[in-house]
Amino acid sequence: MTKDANELFDGQPVLEFESDADRRGFLKYAALFGVGATLVACGNNKSGGGSPAASSSPSTAPSASPTDDTSAFGQGDLGIANFALTLEYLEADFYAKGVAGGSGLLGDLLPLIQPIANHEAAHVQALTQLITAAGGKPAAKPTTKYPDGTFTDKMKFLMTASVFEETGVKAYHGQVTRIQDKKVLAAAASIAGVESRHAAILADILNQKQVPSPVEAHAPSSEIVAAVKPFLGS
Amino acid sequence: MLNNMWTRRSFLGKSALGAGAVISGEAAIQLLSTTRVWAAAAQGDLDILNFALTLEFLEADFYMQANAAADKLFTDQRSKDLFKLIGSDEAAHVSAISDTITKLGGKPVAKPTVKYPDGSFTDYKSFLKLSKTFEETGVGAYLGQAGAITDPAILQAAAGIFGVECRHAALVGKIAGLPAEGGVYMGATETAKTKDEVLAAVKPFLS
Repeated sequence: MTKDANELFDGQPVLEFESDADRRGFLKYAALFGVGATLVACGNNKSGGGSPAASSSPSTAPSASPTDDTSAFGQGDLGIANFALTLEYLEADFYAKGVAGGSGLLGDLLPLIQPIANHEAAHVQALTQLITAAGGKPAAKPTTKYPDGTFTDKMKFLMTASVFEETGVKAYHGQVTRIQDKKVLAAAASIAGVESRHAAILADILNQKQVPSPVEAHAPSSEIVAAVKPFLGS
Repeated sequence: MLNNMWTRRSFLGKSALGAGAVISGEAAIQLLSTTRVWAAAAQGDLDILNFALTLEFLEADFYMQANAAADKLFTDQRSKDLFKLIGSDEAAHVSAISDTITKLGGKPVAKPTVKYPDGSFTDYKSFLKLSKTFEETGVGAYLGQAGAITDPAILQAAAGIFGVECRHAALVGKIAGLPAEGGVYMGATETAKTKDEVLAAVKPFLS
């Protein structure tokens, strides 16, 4: 089936750009999200196309709720994207270290964990490109630190991984209704789903509850920041 | 067929535990279906909810039938437990979405009549294949509608259900012994499906 812009989001283009240069800048990003280039619409003016998604670059509107505030990471959608980027940097760094020695740490679990490492690295790249293409400044890679034994004790690694994944799921779901721009929502949702898969598989490996509730939980950014703070900084 | 009393009680019953700083999914949907004072709902949102409800009806029915045949269909406790869990999630989704549509002033669609190929509940491999198809279809369906939802509370709940469908899809892929990439995980990002694609995928099962 040939898709066009009218079919993504069931009639609402997810990716729409002010200029062709912006559109080209997003093609790599679009590919990362499994979105064909033909899905990327190019609106020549802000109200063009009559589509509700024909919005400008990610919103810079101030956040609605102080408890969900991501303004420390930047204003509006860019702040949310940088908040997510910081988490993805942490996850990517963590898994890269975990799989660095091949199957040394993870043994026969490596085939299930290596793809997670690849995904988190792809999320970092995708969010960086999203932010740059929207005219923002991507957050720098944070310095990370982990408790002793994290990369020598398989159980310790897996349990930390599980915490990161469940935290990531709650983080994305905590931002869903704060996102203004449809293309940022599409990106965030398509990443969040993958974090849910990771979380379920890690829980399954650890004999924990694979689906903690019939609907994913969500948490405000302040809580997420507190949860990952012990792993950030030198 | 579906035991709505049981599913609703279990779903809302658990939601009482949802207090605390982290807003649990149950609390979110309880808020959505019981305590929210509804403004006039956008017709588009109601249509999307009814579209989702049809899919959830199909999934819930599928697992209910599988779990009824559990002793013959599943050969180990692990698969029994997993599909019992998934079945209860899908039943909870049916109840929650139905309640939400009613609260919005809409009319929930009726449960569709469903049919499955021969052997779906006697041959484990056939069952797993169908299960994976339903879960991945659900993933793509919710993602495909996310951009069209206007009400923030509905978006929050739909996203939350989407995430759980992703969990199911991965778990089914793992227990089926599928390759990690392309079976358990479907790439670094999820892929949206249009309504037409979803309907084409589930049509063979609706009679």
